[in-house]
Amino acid sequence: MSRRRRVLAWFAARPNASGYALLAPGMIWLLLFFLAPIALMLAYSAMKRGLYGGVEPGFTLEHYRRFFDPLYLDILLRTILWSFVCTVLCLVIGYPVAYVVARAGRWRQWLLFLVVLPFWTSFLVRMFAMIFLLRDSGFINGVLLRVGLIHEPVALLYTPFAVMLGLVYGFLPLMILPIYASLEKLDVALLEAAEVLGATPWARFTRVIFPLSLPGVVAGSLLTFIPALGSFVTSDLLGGAKQVMIGNLIQNQFTVARNWPFGSAAAFVLMGVVLVAVVGYLRRRDAGDFVG
Amino acid sequence: MNRRVPRWVVAAATVVYLFLHAPLVALVVFSFNDSKFSATWTGFTLEWYRRLLERDDILDGLRRSLVVGAIATGVATTFGTLLALALARHRMRGRQAVESLLYLPLVTPEIIVGISLLSLFVLAGIPLGLTSIVIAHIAFCISFVAVVVGARLKGMDEHLEEAAMMLGADEWAAFWKVTVPQLLPGIVAGALLAFTMSFDDYVITSFVSGSGSSTLPVVVYGMVRRNVEPSINAISTIIVVVTSLLIYLADRLQSARLAPAGR
Amino acid sequence: MMNRTTGELARREFVRRVIATGAGLATANLGLVGCGPNVSGGDGEDLGPIEKGLNLYLWSDYLADDTVPNFEKEFGVKVTVDTYESNEEMAAKLMAGASGYDLVLPSSYLFPVLFSKDLLAPLRRKYLTNWGNVAPLFLNPPWDPGNAHSVPWGWGTTGIAYRKDRVKETPDSWAVFFDERYRGKVTMLDDLRDVIGSFLRLRGRSLNTVDPAELAAAKQDALKAKPNLRAFVSAPVKAQLIAGDVWIAQMWSGDARQAIAEQPAIEYLVPKEGGTIFSDALVMPRSAPHPRAAHEFLNYILRPPVAAAIADKTGYGTPNQAALPLTRARVPYPTADELGRLEYQKDLGQGSEQWDRIWTEIKAA
Repeated sequence: MSRRRRVLAWFAARPNASGYALLAPGMIWLLLFFLAPIALMLAYSAMKRGLYGGVEPGFTLEHYRRFFDPLYLDILLRTILWSFVCTVLCLVIGYPVAYVVARAGRWRQWLLFLVVLPFWTSFLVRMFAMIFLLRDSGFINGVLLRVGLIHEPVALLYTPFAVMLGLVYGFLPLMILPIYASLEKLDVALLEAAEVLGATPWARFTRVIFPLSLPGVVAGSLLTFIPALGSFVTSDLLGGAKQVMIGNLIQNQFTVARNWPFGSAAAFVLMGVVLVAVVGYLRRRDAGDFVG
Repeated sequence: MNRRVPRWVVAAATVVYLFLHAPLVALVVFSFNDSKFSATWTGFTLEWYRRLLERDDILDGLRRSLVVGAIATGVATTFGTLLALALARHRMRGRQAVESLLYLPLVTPEIIVGISLLSLFVLAGIPLGLTSIVIAHIAFCISFVAVVVGARLKGMDEHLEEAAMMLGADEWAAFWKVTVPQLLPGIVAGALLAFTMSFDDYVITSFVSGSGSSTLPVVVYGMVRRNVEPSINAISTIIVVVTSLLIYLADRLQSARLAPAGR
Repeated sequence: MMNRTTGELARREFVRRVIATGAGLATANLGLVGCGPNVSGGDGEDLGPIEKGLNLYLWSDYLADDTVPNFEKEFGVKVTVDTYESNEEMAAKLMAGASGYDLVLPSSYLFPVLFSKDLLAPLRRKYLTNWGNVAPLFLNPPWDPGNAHSVPWGWGTTGIAYRKDRVKETPDSWAVFFDERYRGKVTMLDDLRDVIGSFLRLRGRSLNTVDPAELAAAKQDALKAKPNLRAFVSAPVKAQLIAGDVWIAQMWSGDARQAIAEQPAIEYLVPKEGGTIFSDALVMPRSAPHPRAAHEFLNYILRPPVAAAIADKTGYGTPNQAALPLTRARVPYPTADELGRLEYQKDLGQGSEQWDRIWTEIKAA
């Protein structure tokens, strides 16, 4: 029997073995370089900070205790609130686009591509595009000055408005795509039937379209909410360092403040919030709450 | 366009499309603007592109991004494809756990991935440099490829492989001659998308890069923070154009026809 | 490098980098620690011949355009210059074990940190024949007795840069950041030591204090100033000051001088309550792969023309008294009186958590 046949026979006798063999490289990599680091971070969050930074052995919950203090909880809550608002805005703004693309017929391929494109364009480049628009010597102020609506540049950059705009701009495509995927399956016949039965446009939307798109809405919301929670680049570049999101706090602890244990504790709390959201989503999904 | 879509919805969607693209268009247009500071058009120039060529840090960053991207994409695509195949074609115990581990990177905020990897590398004594960056990029690309290839697998007909085996091919030949060709567009699309993610990554890379290993996004971030001249517009334009091409390719490949017996 | 969080405006004349020899780069990237002679031992120990490579890790824009090329030509050494954007980034990387550098440029307050991990190699004075050029003021600093591990590079202050064509009165006090007339036109650095420190100085306190009451007062001041501020910015402010978007900015003296060079309407001063004085020094990590070449470079930058060129480019003062007459700006050394108002930053040790918390409170408000 040739070598090849022998190997195949070995695998054939153990139907699961080939499955595990295929899994192995990827799984091992993820275990080593994704799971293990996070476990390490968990360990660090319960260790002491060295005098000049770094980590020292010794179990302590002081970092968690320190985090559960109005100052830091406030930052976390504010981040959650901002992410929530960003998600809602993205939903409201993005839904029409998803709907139009899903019903688009001939143009669908191109319209979809035009949504996918900004999604894949470098995040930094898109943030810079925002800066370019908003700064005092930027495009918007340039146009307003030229047209004569204002005489001095308006401070658009380094405001909460700029940060929210940047967040929405950054995550909007992430909301549109899943909703589109859901709406694409929408059977237009249902809408026609509803119309025939006398439903108003609003009723058609609330009773037919929206419920059927719910899986996409929820998926899109999750895909927007979670990265928004962890973001720090946007508030860094657009906020003038006057806004602190939990991402900024964590980054700060790992760089300037050189307090890795505290940073890890904060990161874990953030991770906890994320997991709550994800698990909640999975439970509901499996329970059929979002059946399209 | 289906006329059942209300006018105002179309109008709203158009506005949003403009919102999505206008900033980028402005960025690109002004990369050719003959003025250092202001955002009013004063004339056409290729000066900022010329200056890019002088900047060793950008060229080095580009080189590193390409190297990291190529290696990470190669490895991640292989591992990810194998994973997708395993999940789609084989029964196994612990499937739930495997899937959870696979999807976890997709929902973990990048900052957490970055700092945890930094902690690991420091502890394990792995030096921070191209090595650490490649390792990190592979880690976050695997899940991604697995999802894309998995989606493609779902749409494929398993019975074709069985049919081939009934006709005398062994599993090996059936796999390579029947499955892989059908799967290939999905694999390549996954690879292209993985490369794009690696090429664009800033957050994770910023934590695990040592010195002498700044990738392009890290260099660009420095430039953006320092609010430099329109050379940023120029490099941004290049990034946008390259990314567009890659995504266009991936798009074409994704919609490549499956075998007729498929869906 | 002091607690700056970014380097300068990237100018067209950026530091020219030469790709290191494959060996040098591979060593750095693969982190082959211990490649090269082991750098420990006494002052007199011979380091052998000059290696062919040299890896510098510096702030961006911290060399004159010809510094590296001339060195390369004269000594036949291929030099790589890597840059970082913040002191903390560099410290974090070094402490995390990043190796492959021959020379690094930390600020004085990082020395205790670096010593705590025994990261620095003692320097062999015998190779530094130009050592005599260093001004006495910079010899034997408290953070590195006898300059056993460092060669001074530059010094500067943190103060206020302002547009004299936009601002009516000279802003000679840190209290100017409360001034409502300039609301939205003033910025402070995005750095906790500088911001909190300035309000400590305003009330006559040390900017190294860990006294809770003093810090609380400074925090209140900072919170009072915050609504007035356009932003906390370090790097982008130079461009904004030149463009006139910002009128008054807390700035490092080097950045300020570079801004003045581009826009003569800008002036710089240290407020009457005093401020920070900082100095950077070049150090050699223990893991340096090219110690001899490193020493040659150290000696090279101690030459007056080279030091003067660097000072002219960076805008910071030179500690090289022989170079001082050759510099354009001729920034004089602080007088004894001025020194009385200026303080070096020290590492805060256990107190850093307190400072960090206050900074978070200020930022989150």
